[in-house]
Amino acid sequence: MTPLLELSGLEVDIQGIPILRGVDMEVRPGEILGVVGETGAGKSMTARSILDLLPAAATVSFDSCTFGGQDFIPPKARQEARGHRIGFVPQRPRGSLNPVFRVGHQLSDTLRRLRNMRWRAARREALDLLRSVRITDPERVYRSFPHELSGGMCQRVCIAIALAGQPELIIADEPTTGLDVTIQAEILRLLGDLISERNAAGILITHDLGVVADVCDRVAVMYAGRMVNVGATTGIYREALHPYANRLVSIATSLDSGGVPQEITGRVPNPGDDLPACAFAPRCFRAGSECFEQEPPMVDRNGQISFCHHPIETEAGAP
Amino acid sequence: MTGGVYTLAIRDLTKVFRIKTGGFRHADLKAVDGVTLSIPPGRTLAVVGESGSGKTTLARLILRLLEPTHGTVLLEDTDITSMQGTELEKVRGRMQIVFQDPYDSLSPWQTVGRTVAEPLLLHENLSMQQARGRVADMLERVGLSPAHARRYPHELSGGQAQRVGIARAMVTKPALVVLDEPTSSLDMSVQSQILLLLQSLQEEMNISYLFISHDLSVVRYIADDLAVMYLGKVVESGPSAGLFASPRHPYTEALLRAAPRPDPSHKTDHIYLVGEQPSALNRAPGCPLYGRCPIAEVACADTPQELAQVGSDHRVACWKRT
Repeated sequence: MTPLLELSGLEVDIQGIPILRGVDMEVRPGEILGVVGETGAGKSMTARSILDLLPAAATVSFDSCTFGGQDFIPPKARQEARGHRIGFVPQRPRGSLNPVFRVGHQLSDTLRRLRNMRWRAARREALDLLRSVRITDPERVYRSFPHELSGGMCQRVCIAIALAGQPELIIADEPTTGLDVTIQAEILRLLGDLISERNAAGILITHDLGVVADVCDRVAVMYAGRMVNVGATTGIYREALHPYANRLVSIATSLDSGGVPQEITGRVPNPGDDLPACAFAPRCFRAGSECFEQEPPMVDRNGQISFCHHPIETEAGAP
Repeated sequence: MTGGVYTLAIRDLTKVFRIKTGGFRHADLKAVDGVTLSIPPGRTLAVVGESGSGKTTLARLILRLLEPTHGTVLLEDTDITSMQGTELEKVRGRMQIVFQDPYDSLSPWQTVGRTVAEPLLLHENLSMQQARGRVADMLERVGLSPAHARRYPHELSGGQAQRVGIARAMVTKPALVVLDEPTSSLDMSVQSQILLLLQSLQEEMNISYLFISHDLSVVRYIADDLAVMYLGKVVESGPSAGLFASPRHPYTEALLRAAPRPDPSHKTDHIYLVGEQPSALNRAPGCPLYGRCPIAEVACADTPQELAQVGSDHRVACWKRT
């Protein structure tokens, strides 16, 4: 299957500080890819590079980047796709809506701009979109200001706005952080359903391994500006090849079952820190001297890809 | 100093906020509504609930940072509900708090050493000179080095800053520490470090924890007992293991079902409760969950639900599940 989005060698520098150091990623049609990592891993920066929404001081370079067969390296191509072919669901829904306009106006305005609709048609379509994100009283929500709506409701509105351009890909950046668990569950189900109903694909950025297990078909684990482990969700949760991904999963699973979590010592590196060849080596329980000196090689086991000198052995589990 | 059965016992604790609703009108918001709880020495009670359920207000009432409307707080068998002045200052050394955001809760102008020494200067009348040894010892116990005492908060990582917050809370050897979402702003790998640290400190110093969280997987790991709050009321309480294994209250059940679990074969139940948590203003007299509850009957709308025993120490406020 040809991927919908494919990018390789993505590098981003901000004022000479490397933020992304060679990210490879592909999203296949109809799937939801989860991008997981800790603060500063480069999850949001990867998404923003695809949308050409990086800060002005950033310099971007790709080895290759295509979206639906189209060359996506020129910034103009990415700008034109934004909103139209790629929808974006932000992390802080209320902060992303304009506080001085009614949400219906913001949604209609988006439709007018993206799909050249007139106000009346845009209003009708906006109400349909609000209904499609399972808002039971769209007329009232249409007339509301963002501050009159709950966090979960604002996120539904943001999802409706992301759908306005009939996108082929929806990128959601921590869409449920800060929402209550019961609301989070509904929003995740909604996103998953909308993506499959529309035959679109999704990228879900999160730090919550529970959320990934719930909705994602494949997972990409990032660490310090690199993709370190990519594979089908079931495979990664059964046995992640990369020691970092493996430990993260084991911490999440043991906490979930009430067991004692294993520890990952040390701390997440800051951008601009001096990093060895494998950025995780100083914290890794399997690291040898080569991890500090040589670039980790690519390991492919049953379609699960990892960049590591000492990947976890099959069936051995985490030591 | 200990001796009693419970480090903390609160009875019928209630806090009503008077909210202006425009002009001269006002409404009463019952943020915490008749909560009765207790924690034995060296144990952890977790309070879980969604935003607006009154978890943080409850913690502030216990620490006397807010005045309760009525009810009593007993700390080591001493009624602290109406203590004032120097008496209260002394008691504060026995109960401390660790906040959610490690950076926001440290003064950017003070060195780590000064921050950790502060409770000793305040509650034990030590001089900075006398405190120094205790501070260095405490920093080592939380996994920092005594050299960190000269650093400022901006020089620390999130995990290190949270360790400083923990050191500050534990330096007076308190009986009770309130942990208000202590790990929710930390990275995953650091989160487990802090949880392990909290647990080893508890074993070493026999401290009781009141652990406030909305993250059920963290709670499952750290809590001995659990209290589930909804709109200011405790709807279910009991030993954590039993509650996770067989929740009785529909709200507890909904929380457990909605929590995403790190297991791709487990399917989260997405639509168990209807709608969203309503405002705590002008609530109906009956069950707070009425209107969202899947098993509600007409009678639930105006029959107040009280906690009733359903097993040893397991209590639930739902007449249909008792």
